[in-house]
Amino acid sequence: MITGSLLLLSAPLLMAGIVYLVLRWMPSVAALLAAGTSLLLGIAVITLPLDQPVSLWGAGEIAMGEEVTLLGRELVLEPGDRVAVALLFLTASALFLLGWRFSPRSLLFPVGLGLLSLLSGALLINPFVYGVLFIGIGAGLAVFMLQEEGAGPSRGAVRYLTFTILALPGLLVTHWLLERYAMTPDDTGLLTAASVLLSVSFALLLGVAPFHNWVRSVGNDGLPLAAAFVLTVGNGAVWFLLLDFLQSYSWLSDQPLFGPVLLAAGTGLVLVGGLLAPVQPRLGRLMAYAAMVDAGATLIALQLNSSLGLAVALFSLLVRPFGLALMGAGVSGLQARTGGDRELEKLSGLAWRAPWSSAALVLGAVSLAGTPVGAGFVARWTLCQALAGSRPGVAVALVLGGTGVVWGVWRVLAILLRRPASPKDRPVSAMGGSEGVSTAAVLGAMIVVTLVVSAFPGLIASVATSLAETYTPFVP
Amino acid sequence: MGQIGDLLATLSLGSLVATGAILVVARKWRLKVLALAIQYLLVVLLLTRIIRVELAAVKGLTGWLICAVFYVTERRVGSPGPPVSSSRSRGDRPWRGEVLSAKGWFYLLSAVLVFVLAYGAALRLPLPEVPAEITLACYLLAGLGLLIVSLNENPFEVGLGLLTTLAGFDLFYVGLEPSLAVAGLVGAVGFMIALATAYLRSAQAAEGMEGGAA
Repeated sequence: MITGSLLLLSAPLLMAGIVYLVLRWMPSVAALLAAGTSLLLGIAVITLPLDQPVSLWGAGEIAMGEEVTLLGRELVLEPGDRVAVALLFLTASALFLLGWRFSPRSLLFPVGLGLLSLLSGALLINPFVYGVLFIGIGAGLAVFMLQEEGAGPSRGAVRYLTFTILALPGLLVTHWLLERYAMTPDDTGLLTAASVLLSVSFALLLGVAPFHNWVRSVGNDGLPLAAAFVLTVGNGAVWFLLLDFLQSYSWLSDQPLFGPVLLAAGTGLVLVGGLLAPVQPRLGRLMAYAAMVDAGATLIALQLNSSLGLAVALFSLLVRPFGLALMGAGVSGLQARTGGDRELEKLSGLAWRAPWSSAALVLGAVSLAGTPVGAGFVARWTLCQALAGSRPGVAVALVLGGTGVVWGVWRVLAILLRRPASPKDRPVSAMGGSEGVSTAAVLGAMIVVTLVVSAFPGLIASVATSLAETYTPFVP
Repeated sequence: MGQIGDLLATLSLGSLVATGAILVVARKWRLKVLALAIQYLLVVLLLTRIIRVELAAVKGLTGWLICAVFYVTERRVGSPGPPVSSSRSRGDRPWRGEVLSAKGWFYLLSAVLVFVLAYGAALRLPLPEVPAEITLACYLLAGLGLLIVSLNENPFEVGLGLLTTLAGFDLFYVGLEPSLAVAGLVGAVGFMIALATAYLRSAQAAEGMEGGAA
């Protein structure tokens, strides 16, 4: 019998080895193997029951909710972790599928699978503080996929590694401080020290201003889809780890400074992202600043310290991959047309030759900006409504942040849509344009799925709401 | 026995200051890798005051393996930093005999400042569960590591800085959580930092070669 947690740890690792071996000779097979494995595991996490073993084709049994001990630590897939782990696997699957078309020979696939194993381990291990060390190892591994082949050393990779490693000590010590506080509740100094360390550590991991430098650098010079992977899958694990911290140590959210610190961090991110997005000279940076605005909105939702706020934050986390995956694919597709040149001016008139990549970029940015038509609109609208009465200034900042991203993408669109001087230079092509039918099909499918999620957000909203109920500190 | 231990700890601390200063100021990669290897030895000596020798030795072995990764990488790709240009300004010049460049003096003074700060912090904010000399060593290594990371963008040097910071933290954390699983995971983090920065360093060298060929 295989336990679920062991399956989630070992299957991606095993497949990472196979994918790495196949990658050189059959990149398409490698990409599809990676996407298929992640998709299957994601579906297994959601659909298989946790309380009883399931027999698969009579070959063996899988007990998804069974506990396993590894190096003296427990690993178990609990109901609360299900959505989080499934989100990581399904997001990775979509990114691998996009990588098949845009970065077929990159290390995104084997390294991404390895990261999935580590990050699911980070969410499944008990006590969860050891997950922090898994995230540290994962940051080292992520460097291999962020580094573009043939390019100079990625500054984004160096900074991502640096900021993640610098966050580890604070989180590990926080765990120890909180354990001591549980034994000596009169010693409030322990709680204060833990709160400060926790805030700084998560600010480093999530790229909260003034520690946002790594987010910008990863977007700027990392492989675009790998950057999207780090900002969705990597950061997704960090977000759920933060929620685990708040769940395990519920008195943290009762601290008087909990709300103001989160509010300041979130508003800072939204304003920095929104103000800087319109003036970015490179597409990758625009993607990074759009992700910052979205992350800031999630922090603002969390500081509401209510089940509504948590549901909005979780909804944002669940739909963020749509925006970032589309933007990553759009940036990859457009950069491929400029021979890897990342400057905006080199994109002049490219929308006529790469319409699908251009559309993906625009829809992805609109989703992250939280404007209508985008997948993130419902969460942003609900958040603005919740804030309008009590904190109208923050609601205005949210709108301004989104407007900044839209302004940035509008600027890009104006360059992309420049008409070539002579009509003969403007190809009028069918379905796939000059991007190829399979690329058009993959991008088209992603765009349609995003539009469906935008038009019918009910399913994801219900998942977010039921997930929010599992986090007791936020339930009134 | 206790006096010998104290003497050893004091000597280790003094040597840590020296290896830390070398890591901050030196330009030759061989010197840096050697300083890192000695630093791991000194950390092992300090660790033996709070944990079993076997566990300390495992941590030392991990550290020396990391040094081996750096040595092999640098041996393959050559010395870090931009090539020496004849038209370089005086302030950018590396070591000349016993004299440091202006940059070198700045780095050394920064290291001295970190030492003073670490000493002050060790007096005012003693770490729990560890003796005073370990507290000073933790602050010193963490501070010097941060200094190296903040002064450099070269992957090799950033890696050295991160590992120095991690070694400082490990000195403290091992007293709080002396389990083998945590020691293994912290070792894996260090090893992954070394591999990742070595990979980036290779990319840097490959780019330099392509640039040179062009």
